[in-house]
Amino acid sequence: MAEQELSSLLKQIHQTVGSHDYEKSQTLLSKAKLALLSLNALVPSPTTSASSLALARETLELGAIVSIRRQDPESFTRYVQQLQPIYDLPSDVLSQEGSNQSRITGLYLLLLLSQGDYAGFHTVLESLETAVVSNGGSQQSLEHDVFIQYPVKLEQWLMEGSYDRVWAATKSERVPSEEYGVFSDVLVGTIRSEIASCSEKAYPSLPISNAKNLFFLESEGSVIDFANARGWIVQDGRIFFPLAAEQGPRNEKEILATSGTVIENTLGYARELEMIV
Amino acid sequence: MVNTRRSNRDESSPAANGDSPSNTQDKSTPTRSPSTRSKTAAMKKGASGQSDNGSPRPNGVGAGAKGSTQNEDVNMGDSAPNEQQKGKDGDEEMTVVVPPAKGSKLSEQGKDNGDDVAMEGADELDTEKSGESEDPEAKTILDIKNSFPLLERAVAQFDSRFTLRVLRSISSIRKRISPDVLAKVIVETYTSNHPTAKTLLAAVGKEDAFSGEQQVVEMEVDAEKGQSQAKSTKEIIPEIDIFLSILVQVYLLDKKEFDLGAKFSNHLVDKLRTLNRRSLDSLSARVYFYYSLFHEELKPYPPSPLAPAISIRQQLLAALRTSVLRKDQDTQATVTTLLLRNYLSASHISQADLLVSQTQFPPAASSNQVARYLYYLGRIRAIQLSYTEAHEHLVGASRKSPSSATAAGFYQASMKLLVIVELLMGDIPDRAIFRQPSLEHALQPYFLLVQAVRVGDLEGFLKVVQVHNSTFRRDGNYTLILRLRQNVIKTGVRMMSLSYSRISLRDICLRLGLESEESAEYIVAKAIRDGVIEATLDHEKGFMKSKDVGDVYATREPGEAFHERIRACLALHDESVKAMRFPMNQHRLELKNAQEARERERELAKEIQEGDIDDDDAGGDFDGI
Repeated sequence: MAEQELSSLLKQIHQTVGSHDYEKSQTLLSKAKLALLSLNALVPSPTTSASSLALARETLELGAIVSIRRQDPESFTRYVQQLQPIYDLPSDVLSQEGSNQSRITGLYLLLLLSQGDYAGFHTVLESLETAVVSNGGSQQSLEHDVFIQYPVKLEQWLMEGSYDRVWAATKSERVPSEEYGVFSDVLVGTIRSEIASCSEKAYPSLPISNAKNLFFLESEGSVIDFANARGWIVQDGRIFFPLAAEQGPRNEKEILATSGTVIENTLGYARELEMIV
Repeated sequence: MVNTRRSNRDESSPAANGDSPSNTQDKSTPTRSPSTRSKTAAMKKGASGQSDNGSPRPNGVGAGAKGSTQNEDVNMGDSAPNEQQKGKDGDEEMTVVVPPAKGSKLSEQGKDNGDDVAMEGADELDTEKSGESEDPEAKTILDIKNSFPLLERAVAQFDSRFTLRVLRSISSIRKRISPDVLAKVIVETYTSNHPTAKTLLAAVGKEDAFSGEQQVVEMEVDAEKGQSQAKSTKEIIPEIDIFLSILVQVYLLDKKEFDLGAKFSNHLVDKLRTLNRRSLDSLSARVYFYYSLFHEELKPYPPSPLAPAISIRQQLLAALRTSVLRKDQDTQATVTTLLLRNYLSASHISQADLLVSQTQFPPAASSNQVARYLYYLGRIRAIQLSYTEAHEHLVGASRKSPSSATAAGFYQASMKLLVIVELLMGDIPDRAIFRQPSLEHALQPYFLLVQAVRVGDLEGFLKVVQVHNSTFRRDGNYTLILRLRQNVIKTGVRMMSLSYSRISLRDICLRLGLESEESAEYIVAKAIRDGVIEATLDHEKGFMKSKDVGDVYATREPGEAFHERIRACLALHDESVKAMRFPMNQHRLELKNAQEARERERELAKEIQEGDIDDDDAGGDFDGI
């Protein structure tokens, strides 16, 4: 009874997601979650039937996708955490069919990446790795899973500094599914500021026309805006990075600080030595 | 950060060469070379019966560590040489075991004769005669029974050292345990209707031992019967119950009866929870250890949420709570490491992290537990990318790991992780690490990895990862190794910046095997920002120009390195002072001595005063003469 009601609700939600009416799907989702509660399937227990578990999974996955589209990371994280116990169920209780596990997990990884939470990213990745190994030899599946590989590759490129490849990957045709596009803007913002901080150190000066390509900006005007926003000096069609300005006075201060620590350390040694002898 | 470490290593090398890895080396090589190992093992075996001044229970937990971590390495397919070495170790152990078996008996006997009641000595002599005819079994029974008075004494004198000594003897008894031996000991210890005896016998599959034995005993010698009755009328302390149960656990584990063992351990843990005796602490720690080992071996294995290993978390957490409340540091330490191991086996890293942050590891834990704890901590931190912290923990773990051959697995595992973490930090591990006999073979893939990273050879690196893929996965280090890719690139860039004063981006791109010049430009820019190299880029002409490297000795780095080392030495001193054992109530004794000395002094003073007169008198006499 309740299951039928729920599945009809789910159909409606699918429709609203299709027509990008997220407000409506939001209200429908809360109804669906209530139905799940009455089925006692929101949190899986050993007594929950497989069919209601499948429904629960579908509901929560939809919820996760809707919240990503609404750009609501908190609610997305909540959905992911609710989904985790369902995904952890062995496949003889709930078959993997119809599951969007890798898609959701990939999105979650991407979210962590865009938030700069590398520790969390690697923690999730590690658990994926063991889960795959334990499922019996299907080691390759993780490496061929587009949804998981996308964030993994991005992280690798970000870490080694191949920003041009990150840039290429965020273009819409390279993104494995629609939802992943949501993060593109965040990522581009991240790499732009990364490149900017690298450039400050690496180049003495840079022609504006080159900078346009370097920062993946559309026009020279936006380059100038960007340069001003970061406090760079634009002169004669070149960007000059304010560097080494802080080096002169800092040296003296440093010497003072150094001698302070040296004295402190030596006194410390003396005290310890006295204690020992 | 990376830069400071690097330049430190390269430029200030005369000073920096004594860096931490080589220190480990200096320390560990002598203890690990095979010849000395056998010697120390022999000494340990010989000494085990006599004194407690060695590190607390090296053998027992060493074997335990083997059981836990070695697993991976035994079936790791570290084929021929390692196996050979294992065989050799086995031989050594065999040869070692035999002579001290007599020696230890003698020494134990001597000791028992020395400070135990005469009855013990008599008992021993008695059985020794018969022991000569049916040697191993009777001797084992004797060994086990010899533990009982020690346990009783531990309770009576409230000194855990006796318990520890008994636990240490398990590893030597372990090889000789058989159901017959256990059944005999049980029969001779308990009366036939004792409930504990029944469960113990059921576990070793000798339910009918009483009906058989009792008759034999009754038939055989009256004296013996009287003795056994005398024993059984005496109250059997729970410590003995638990000790025998541990022996049963060990036996079942060695026989790989995991189902039975798990069931038995469940009962045992339930029973243990009803007891509240401080003298049981170190025994219960051991019970939990085997309890968890049994469950780990049951299918389905951990990552699956239905694994029995995961279902015991509740019990372990309860045990942890209880032990903290009772200030039972042994159990607390053991259970903490077991829980961490449990979480990590299922990759529940965030839970493990929470556990670490919510609990305190007891400072008085035995060094083996500390080593394990540090290892798990290092693993957690490595996954969370806090490499500096991970490095610190792992160095601690590998230094604290037991040096006996039985714990080689743990040492290997921690060194593997340590090597990777060092690489991730931008350091290159010392070549000598890979030359240690206990590591040479097991760490071969890691050695190739280090070579690839050291020269910045991206292709070679990928090839090594490809070839040894399965090994790395089995060690659980695969994801960590994948992170090394960027380090390889960085090293490559660094090598080029050192060798060329000016190089075009195209060449960099070709040499690193990158896909495009743009990638190369970004990578170099990032390397400059991260402080890996000192250089500038020229975008229009497309080249990288290296700056002259400054004098490291003009910076604070040598001073900092110096400070770091002095601090390590001081910490070592403090720790060794803490690790020394001070006898209880010694200070009172000293006070008493001081008091006595003072009294003596006073008397002396008095005497001198009186003596003065005497002297005078004497002098007077002398004068008179």
